[in-house]
Amino acid sequence: MLRKHALFAVAGAMALAIASHGAHAAAKIKIGFLPGVVDPFYQVMQIGVEAAAKDLGVDVVTQVPPTWGVDIQTPILDSMVARGDLDYIVTAPTDKDQMVGPLKAAVDAGIKVITVDTFLGDGDYVNGPVKFPISYIGSDNIEGGRISARGLAKAIGGKGTVYINSTNPNVSSVEGREKGFKEVMEKEFPNIKVLGPDYNLDDPNKATQQTAAVLERDPGLGGVFGTNVFSAQGAGAAVVNAGLGGHVQVVAYDATKLAIELLNKGVVTLVLAQKPYDMGYMAVQFAVADAAGVTSLPRRVETGFAIIDKENVKDPTIARFIYQVPGK
Amino acid sequence: MTDRGSRIVLPAGVKPSGIWTPAQRFALLASRVWAWLFLALMVLFFVVTVPLVSGGAVHFLTIRNSQNILVAIIPVLLLGLGQTFVIIGAGIDLSVGWVMSLASVLSALALRWAFDGGVPLFPSVLVGLIAGVGGAAVVGFINGVIIAKLKVPAFIVTLGTSFIVRGVAYLMSENTTVIGLPPGIRAYGNDALLYFIRGEGGGFYFLKRPDVSGELLRRMDTILPYPVIVTACVVACAIFLLRKTQFGRHTYAIGGSMEAAVRTGIPVDRHIIKLYILSASTAGMAGFLSTLRFTAGSAVIGDPLLLSSIAAVIIGGVSLFGGAGTVIGTVIGALIIAVLTTGLVMLNVEAFFQFIVVGTVVIVAVLIDQSRDLIAGRHRRRAET
Repeated sequence: MLRKHALFAVAGAMALAIASHGAHAAAKIKIGFLPGVVDPFYQVMQIGVEAAAKDLGVDVVTQVPPTWGVDIQTPILDSMVARGDLDYIVTAPTDKDQMVGPLKAAVDAGIKVITVDTFLGDGDYVNGPVKFPISYIGSDNIEGGRISARGLAKAIGGKGTVYINSTNPNVSSVEGREKGFKEVMEKEFPNIKVLGPDYNLDDPNKATQQTAAVLERDPGLGGVFGTNVFSAQGAGAAVVNAGLGGHVQVVAYDATKLAIELLNKGVVTLVLAQKPYDMGYMAVQFAVADAAGVTSLPRRVETGFAIIDKENVKDPTIARFIYQVPGK
Repeated sequence: MTDRGSRIVLPAGVKPSGIWTPAQRFALLASRVWAWLFLALMVLFFVVTVPLVSGGAVHFLTIRNSQNILVAIIPVLLLGLGQTFVIIGAGIDLSVGWVMSLASVLSALALRWAFDGGVPLFPSVLVGLIAGVGGAAVVGFINGVIIAKLKVPAFIVTLGTSFIVRGVAYLMSENTTVIGLPPGIRAYGNDALLYFIRGEGGGFYFLKRPDVSGELLRRMDTILPYPVIVTACVVACAIFLLRKTQFGRHTYAIGGSMEAAVRTGIPVDRHIIKLYILSASTAGMAGFLSTLRFTAGSAVIGDPLLLSSIAAVIIGGVSLFGGAGTVIGTVIGALIIAVLTTGLVMLNVEAFFQFIVVGTVVIVAVLIDQSRDLIAGRHRRRAET
């Protein structure tokens, strides 16, 4: 009896201690952050995750897979689950179908999942085939593809041949970009022929080679759409190597510093900046809100784009969307 | 010749111990068991540090984590198993990563085709197995024939076929993940022999995944998933094959000295072809299992695994010059890599350290292999180029 009372007293004291620690923190939650691969996009997202964690007083454990792929991401995910102390995992699934099983296993182990940048199934967590993640927070990639298509079409005068260089098949983000891009070209610019996509497997060197080969094969090529960091980087390099900077227009998805450098040199016409910082920050906010009992969190959040061109690149309200890691 | 082979297989029994001084004997013993010791020390390190770093919240040796490690080693181990035979036979197979991808795609396509054609689930899975491993074996046969009959160096041949296979895998998968497989295969790739629910209302469940949810599901551990059991059977067969059969003895003999093997009347060409078929087949098995695990075929699944699998083989003590090595060594090598990955994640150290440690261990493994010969007063045969 006495021991029971003592236990209650201890529990009470602990509850008080926790309650006084932070107004919202009924119990301090721990979040795992597992992006897709090492790149500037996810580095900025990580900054967002860590900033939110600091602001909201939660712990974050981050693991970055060295290579893109389900058989690299899954063992890391499994190990994070095996820690047993995580309440939420914020992740960018490396395949919209193959990662369903491993992430469902995490959910079965009592961890809630929020997907950022890429989604599972068709991304509709209300009516789609996959419903278990709390939310998808990322770009509307189909819209991003459309914007890129219109930008590129305008830059090449509405006719000619363009080429898509992409990263991996069956990844929701880049797949959406290809889809939106092709859709607009087909409907709005019937005089533009679309080649590709080629897949570079997140290797900028391969993207360079592939683009160089297309430039060889198709000397009349008017423009290239690089669907992410690596594609745009590689495509830009190939255009510069061929001495075609300014003649072949490049639209770069992802505002890496290199992409901006190429923009300033006139190699890249348009840079589409996503908002990885927002994705990371909001994902942590969502986790904290969910833990606090909020039940009306949107199941899909589109974070939008900043469209960067030579005119606005110096404008601080736009330049803040360039992917920059402090100190680098 | 027999000496080279048995040096590793039955080292203590074959040599009269009087030949070496006690110091030499100790050094030889150390060189044989160091990988085990390293693995044990690493596990111990994580067992101690993981709770320390996490303030007691996280533990390394849990049922869940042990099972995770067993699942995680499967692809690297299967790629490494066939490779073990090939390297003992003084060859190398650089095509295994992409052969695994091809097998993943082939098995997914075949499985889907059979199931959509009205074949029940289990036979459809068998169709997938046959297509995956069979398709891989064809690649192995081609590798073997070119290496053995046309005398092209294995390094070049398998590098070439890896590109060809990669192209074929992409084409067959139409450049995307092969989906639309029957959902029932998830059970084959992820369910287990045994389930254990800790605490109240829990207990053991054999063969059947208990239909629980919520808190009970959270306390459930999956013990011995089917792919782990399948892999263990393949490992057992490989051990038997290498240690107890003529096939194994011939493999050591060919790796020890090709000329001697020819002179003793071993059908060297045929044997080499078999080695590459074996290597491709275990890679095919890896591809098939990954299709079941992720319920989809993927033309990129094996790409990042090739170098890890070769590292596992080398760490396990297989000599790149041929003639020496064991299957268990490769298992230890694969375990070291998997334990490292898992442990670093649990310590919340960046995963990239894994590369540095694995790289160091690979070099140490080779140094130890060489010094063993030095201690024993033997001269290392240079690679025949």
